[in-house]
Amino acid sequence: MVEVWQLFVTTSALTVIIGLYCVASKRNMIKTVIGVEIITSGINLNFLAFGYGPYGQDPLAQSVVITSIVIAAAVAAVALSMVINAYRHYGSVDVKKLSRLRW
Amino acid sequence: MEIPLILQPVAVLLASAVVVPLIDVVGRAAKAEKIREIFAVAAFAAAFTSMLNLYFEIGRTGPQSFVLGDYGPSLGGVQLYADELSVFVSLLFCGLGLLAAIYSVKYMEVDTGLDKYYSLLLTLVAGLVGVSFSRDFFNLYVFWEMMCISSYTLVTFRKYRWEPVEAGFKYLIMSTIGSLFALYGISILYGLTGTLNFGAISSMIPLLRERAGLLTFYLIIAMLVSGFGVTAAVVPLHTWLPDAHPAAPSPISAMLSGVVIKAGVYAISRSLFTIFSPLSFDYGTLLMILGVLTMTIANLGALMQRDIKRLLAFSSIVNIGYILSGLGIGAYALTTYYASFPQIAISAAILGVMGALFHLFNHAIGKGLLFLGSGCFVHELETRDISRMEGVGRRMIWSGVSFSLGLLALAGIPPLSGFWSKLFIILAGFSVPESGLMKVVSIAIVINSIFAASYYLWLIQRIMLKKPSEKVGQASEAHPLMVLPLLILAIVLVVVGLWPGMIIQFAESAARALLGG
Repeated sequence: MVEVWQLFVTTSALTVIIGLYCVASKRNMIKTVIGVEIITSGINLNFLAFGYGPYGQDPLAQSVVITSIVIAAAVAAVALSMVINAYRHYGSVDVKKLSRLRW
Repeated sequence: MEIPLILQPVAVLLASAVVVPLIDVVGRAAKAEKIREIFAVAAFAAAFTSMLNLYFEIGRTGPQSFVLGDYGPSLGGVQLYADELSVFVSLLFCGLGLLAAIYSVKYMEVDTGLDKYYSLLLTLVAGLVGVSFSRDFFNLYVFWEMMCISSYTLVTFRKYRWEPVEAGFKYLIMSTIGSLFALYGISILYGLTGTLNFGAISSMIPLLRERAGLLTFYLIIAMLVSGFGVTAAVVPLHTWLPDAHPAAPSPISAMLSGVVIKAGVYAISRSLFTIFSPLSFDYGTLLMILGVLTMTIANLGALMQRDIKRLLAFSSIVNIGYILSGLGIGAYALTTYYASFPQIAISAAILGVMGALFHLFNHAIGKGLLFLGSGCFVHELETRDISRMEGVGRRMIWSGVSFSLGLLALAGIPPLSGFWSKLFIILAGFSVPESGLMKVVSIAIVINSIFAASYYLWLIQRIMLKKPSEKVGQASEAHPLMVLPLLILAIVLVVVGLWPGMIIQFAESAARALLGG
């Protein structure tokens, strides 16, 4: 018998994989940022799935997830501001255009 | 109400980060713009002083702990905890932050938006200190992200140029995914134990070991190492570093290379050694392999650089390799030889970890000095190309001499401090006669040090001994406020090199705190 939390853990692992695929394959910088956000939501779901018990949701998991959402918003804000600046310099949001720095 | 001693450094730094923009508004109105610089430097000095107080308090009464709110630690209350190791690294963080702030007064003069710059520098150091004081993963993650977001923004501070934007975006994406991987590992650990507190988790691990299977724990270890390893610039996750360090303003490069990557090493070592006892989990091998890979690959990368800050960035990765292999030797000795020779294994572990922490200190001071010194040259000549700054040390004698001292110290020339720390790590590798793997790692460190010393000496020859060209000949010594931090750091390197006893004692007590007595 598959329990509910196992379904959620599997879903969250799939979400993380989708997010990683998005970051690795998309050339648009905004889509890369979206990929990072998808990974974040996958991990948040994982916390909530593990925090679910017979007496309801564990407050510790909830507080971690709320904090993590706030942090993700801050990261997204910084990332999008960088995208705007990159667009000003390059006239494009294509990651391939940002390859003036060699390794 | 009196604020507990352990909260003071973080509280001072965070409060002043909020106040700096307000002070700036007042300063502009009163036509005294320098007031924000003076305030920021004073805030760092206050944080450094309270950190020293905390150090003496720990010397008197042992580790300090503070639980926020009414929750007990096992219920998920935020616990701050300071032992010798926390104070060892956070004294470095605050000290280098203070010197970087003094240096920025002149270096960043031409930029605008400096209120945000000092605010971000303060939150960066607050995040670093918070990371070193955290005793639960929740707290650690919040301070970690505070540090990361500040450093992304500081790298891209000069956003009117293309290079910082490109490097900063790369850094942001890599580092955020790294932190998220660490958080994923933390969430699995939470699923197993139902708590995030280090102490509570580590007491439950032996019970869970059979039920959850060893593989799950190794998965968590891998996630933590790779997650924090992005910030620590462990090969193959290092590719953001050679871009981000040169692109940032020089004081920020010094902060990034001196302390931010050390926070990654600190988070790896703290979470691994505290939660997973090295007696039952073999991650020493992993750390040693990563360490050797890191130093070798970064050394090869450093060879082809013409940009002075890029060369120094690669050399930072090399030094992270030494530190990781020192920690790895310590963990491996305990895992493999504790059963057969407990005495030898414990002394080898303490020697290895102590050498790693001592090297962490030396590299923070030395690389801070080198990035600030190269900042002086770059500020004066407006180029980062080594071939166009030949002989500049003859024109800028104070910066040149301290820059060379820093290079010599990191190369491990005997009377300077870098020699001692490398010696301890290498000795630790040879201290268990039966172990072939540890000897191989030590020999790899020796070879890599010699290799690195050759390009350090090459750099000294280019900077100090070559005849200055016409353009370089017009360079003059940097402003005293920029030279002062360099001199302080150079004096620290020489003094620690000549009298290493005190800092060795401090590093040893930190190593004992990390290994749990």
